[in-house]
Amino acid sequence: MDLTPNSEQQALLSATADWCRDNMPLEQARSRQPALWNQLAEMGWLGMTAPGMDLDHATEALVFAELGRHLAPVGMISSAVAARWSGHQGKTALALLDRDLTGGLLRVYDAPGATHALGLVGGLAALTALPADLGGEPGLDLSAPLAHIDPAPPFTALGDPRAALHLQLVSAAFAVGVAEAARDMAAEYAKMREQFERPIGWFQALKHICADMAVRSAVASSQLLYAACALDAGDDDAAFHVASAKHLADQAAIDNGRANIQVHGGIGMTDEAYPHLCLKRAHLLTFVAPPVRDVILGEAA
Amino acid sequence: MDIQFSPEEQRFREECRDWLHTNVPAEQRPMDAADAVEFDKAWQRRLFDAGWAGINWPVEYGGRGLSIVQQVIWLEEYARAHAPWIGANFVGVNHGGPTLIINASEAQKECHLPRILKGETIWCQGFSEPGAGSDLAGIKTRARIEGDELVVNGSKIWTSFAHVADWQELVVRTEEGSQRHRGLSWVICDMHAPGIEIRPIRKISGQVEFAQVFYDDVRIPLENVVGGLGNGWKVAMSTLSFERGTGFIADQVKQSQEIAELLERARATGAIRDDRIAEQLMQMRAEVAALRAMTYRNISEVVRSGQPGPEASVIRLFTSELGQRLERMALLLAGDDILDFRYGDDNQIADYLRGFAATIAGGTAQIQRDIIAERLLGLPKSR
Repeated sequence: MDLTPNSEQQALLSATADWCRDNMPLEQARSRQPALWNQLAEMGWLGMTAPGMDLDHATEALVFAELGRHLAPVGMISSAVAARWSGHQGKTALALLDRDLTGGLLRVYDAPGATHALGLVGGLAALTALPADLGGEPGLDLSAPLAHIDPAPPFTALGDPRAALHLQLVSAAFAVGVAEAARDMAAEYAKMREQFERPIGWFQALKHICADMAVRSAVASSQLLYAACALDAGDDDAAFHVASAKHLADQAAIDNGRANIQVHGGIGMTDEAYPHLCLKRAHLLTFVAPPVRDVILGEAA
Repeated sequence: MDIQFSPEEQRFREECRDWLHTNVPAEQRPMDAADAVEFDKAWQRRLFDAGWAGINWPVEYGGRGLSIVQQVIWLEEYARAHAPWIGANFVGVNHGGPTLIINASEAQKECHLPRILKGETIWCQGFSEPGAGSDLAGIKTRARIEGDELVVNGSKIWTSFAHVADWQELVVRTEEGSQRHRGLSWVICDMHAPGIEIRPIRKISGQVEFAQVFYDDVRIPLENVVGGLGNGWKVAMSTLSFERGTGFIADQVKQSQEIAELLERARATGAIRDDRIAEQLMQMRAEVAALRAMTYRNISEVVRSGQPGPEASVIRLFTSELGQRLERMALLLAGDDILDFRYGDDNQIADYLRGFAATIAGGTAQIQRDIIAERLLGLPKSR
């Protein structure tokens, strides 16, 4: 039993952080260039979860939390799942069905350049072919182009039910990253911004908001790593642990996203500042493989 | 990273389970305070004789010298077997003992550690004062040096087990005129010494479980100072960091038992069909799982680096608040039966009422948040 990253994982993690900082900073999340996807493919970020790469879920959770912390494109989530379970390498768009069933409205994120989109249909991870040249405009989340298809085309479920758990795990990792990004942004601002002739982080009212952000992040990231290990181990409770991780990660991302805006005060309400990017991403992620209450309660058959 | 225990650890788990299965007493801990202490001592002795006391304590002081992972496995199985609460041995085993292991002289360790483990001596804590709660450095209880003795005058408060304790971990001001963290000493005080007066205090749960202790020219041999005169703050902090690190694993393990019981009750009564209750239970079941994950992560950190990570303070805060929400839920499920509570009842309502201690004792939830913000996030110190 060991829930701390080993030296290899730590090295990968800091390499990921460095690369993200240099090539995919959070501050540019509102206008990701299409060329970024070529870079992601070239650097191997899209193929790292392919079966031949033997990347375990634990390492994957660490890396995707780091990617999520920089508000990496959400299409990386679907691409990671498709690469592991369907053989689709490269870019796979993210599909969100408005009712978890085909026939309703389909939202597609990061469609340009992708031939397929992956989403959750009836509890299973499933793929659909995309019309050529599907583009999109930013929606609530400003980082990714969003396209609509109505009614949704048919999907083909992936054979392995673990693909849905994988989708939930990777999206939970992204949410953990968002929660951490918002926590750090708030803490940095609280140290720098002065009122009443001292940093606002000196005041307990602000300090405790930040402390709660740290608690939520620690809770969510610990459960994420445990869930990833449970999936790696083929644990009977893996579905429970992954669903719990997603639930806590979404909660942390939203609550920290909101708290971050509050800590920033007036500037936090502006389009030019960065806090809203985290909050909007957090809201988007809650719709990706949302946890089922009965699974967490242990009521599911 | 993995959550698998090694074959050796799994064998150890089997051993724990087997022994607990045949040895956990069927009878409840007695209600009467004096009987309860005898019960606690006898149970501690039984644990010691069978080799289950001080699993990760050094062998030379009566422990087993095993790893902290094995200690966690033991506590997990202990909770699962519904073994008795540690009771009056809490301070000695979980607080005083570990502090002595880190800070005490060989003579002090040899004298006290085996007795603690055997359940022969009961310890209590003397940190808080009427005027020094969250602001612990405001300690006023003073000790002047006379020859080879300290002479103590003052008062301590919220001292659990004071009336049954043999020894106390006492922090006093040994340097006259010293301020704040300086000039304090951590001493072993004989609770049977002349000049000690104990006034019991009743809690809102009706139980008389703590007390105010008065010291009137109480004489303590200088050799009872632990970690050197004037180093009391440092010694006390090593205890508190232990508390914030691994000292509460037993509580954390117990909470997974509690959420399982609450779910069972909610299913049995049909309360689980109430969406508001189901939502809260879902939240707590996920959080209890996360708490175990955090605990494992912290333990892994201890194994890897020798000390708990900075996130240990998060665990302490999270455990205490989660525990209170579990207690609140137990009350919600009990419905209007709670209205018939009477002083003297020792049930879930008493647990709920005495459970406020979790976010007050050993540093309030507010102090814990200050610590998290300052040490984890680097926010400026406001105190």
